[in-house]
Amino acid sequence: MRRPRRFLFVVPPLVGHINPAAAVAAELTRRGHRVAWAGLPGPVGELAGPGAEIHPCEAPRDLHRPPDLRGAAALRFLWQDFLVPLATAMAPGVERAAAAFHPDVIVADQQALAGALTAERLGIPYATSATTSAEFSAALAGMPKVAEWIHGLLAGLRATLGDPARTHDLRFSPDLVLAFTTTVLADASAAPPQTRFVGPALARRPDTAPFPREWLDAARHTVLVSLGTANTDLGGRFLTECAAAVRDRSPHLQAVVADPGGVLAGTSDDTVLAVPSMPQLALLRRASAVVCHAGHNTVAESLLHGVPLVVAPIRDDQPVIAAQVTTAGAGIRIRFGRADREAVGAALDAVLTEPGYRAAAHRVQNSFRAAGGAAAAAAHLEETAVRWADAAPPSAPTR
Amino acid sequence: MTTTPTPDAVTPLPGTDERAVLAALTEALHAVIPELALEGTAVTMDTRFVEDLDLESIDLVTLTAELGRRYGDRVDFPAFFASLELTEVIELSAGRLVRYIAGRTR
Repeated sequence: MRRPRRFLFVVPPLVGHINPAAAVAAELTRRGHRVAWAGLPGPVGELAGPGAEIHPCEAPRDLHRPPDLRGAAALRFLWQDFLVPLATAMAPGVERAAAAFHPDVIVADQQALAGALTAERLGIPYATSATTSAEFSAALAGMPKVAEWIHGLLAGLRATLGDPARTHDLRFSPDLVLAFTTTVLADASAAPPQTRFVGPALARRPDTAPFPREWLDAARHTVLVSLGTANTDLGGRFLTECAAAVRDRSPHLQAVVADPGGVLAGTSDDTVLAVPSMPQLALLRRASAVVCHAGHNTVAESLLHGVPLVVAPIRDDQPVIAAQVTTAGAGIRIRFGRADREAVGAALDAVLTEPGYRAAAHRVQNSFRAAGGAAAAAAHLEETAVRWADAAPPSAPTR
Repeated sequence: MTTTPTPDAVTPLPGTDERAVLAALTEALHAVIPELALEGTAVTMDTRFVEDLDLESIDLVTLTAELGRRYGDRVDFPAFFASLELTEVIELSAGRLVRYIAGRTR
């Protein structure tokens, strides 16, 4: 085995970003390396597994985003009111973590900018963990002034928290960018050459949500409906229409609806089962279709199981991911704000009866499996750690 | 019965251009989002694309293609979008786009 290395994972307080990192961290640990975390102790502790070494970081007090922000307004809020303050708040904790843990490599989530900033300031090699692929697309290519605005914010962070002598884009490590998708699904036109497409990395997370397995009817298609972990405030109308669409097709459909906000008031009958959270991976093994908000992780997990999708993007990277799904042929996009039971039902009928959608989902599934997931990510990190160690002089004490 | 021609037929009234463009834009919007026509949502100069119509960035791309079909290369739509600052993208209204098109087709 190779010499054990020390990897420090820097993550934002976002479930979808911590889960893939946790899978890679577990794989590195299995290979004999040391892993530690810098982030908010609450969410990291919950997802990184028992016994994880967590170095606490602060976060801005108010992380709540007004739920009605969409489009460019959501983009402005994400950068100006979330990512930049998050980087500033986390940076001292990341620096303390680096001083205490002495990482060989920092694995910096693309949205936890304190990771990249601290790494470059302290001269520690870092890899970028890109848990969504939206930054690789040319989504902002037609609006250069918006892209410039983001670059301005990044330059401001670099001036105070990073190494002002560096010039590369903070969101992409110059050495290694891990993308948890494949080019069969993602538009990689803006991905830098050091990007490695490893496919989804699934943590062997315990399915803690209790679920009445006997409820599943083998004679009917099972549809999963989920808006992810960050849209509880918004989903009422949409989930109601989804439930109605399935009810209209009760002879051959049933649905499990993730309803953390309780908008379906605990509906539990023969056709629709609303639960606060569902054992998604277990259910995907027998689901026929997934209706979701096109969050990267839900889409990736569905396609890893070869399940076609009906996607209703809400904001952020979701419109980009939804477009990837439809371009790949693995699903149909409907409008989150407008789709009624007829629109949801028509989309479900299509993905369930027209074999092309399932065939496309299987193509993506095959590419995901071939990409290697957490094991491939760990191998790239090991390889890059060796390359860095060979390239760098014996490490001098950092300031 | 009087035979006075309507003034429009002879001399365009001020704003006629913009009105015609707004009508064309409304038509293009209906092509992009058929539900809009069904909902009977009126598109005015003050209608904001994102907040009022729920348009996504991907819809703007489709809308641009629709408008391109109608105006050809008389109007440089990519240049219009490239000129927008973030706050202008957020507040983008039908009127802003109509005035741009009208200014180019006059």
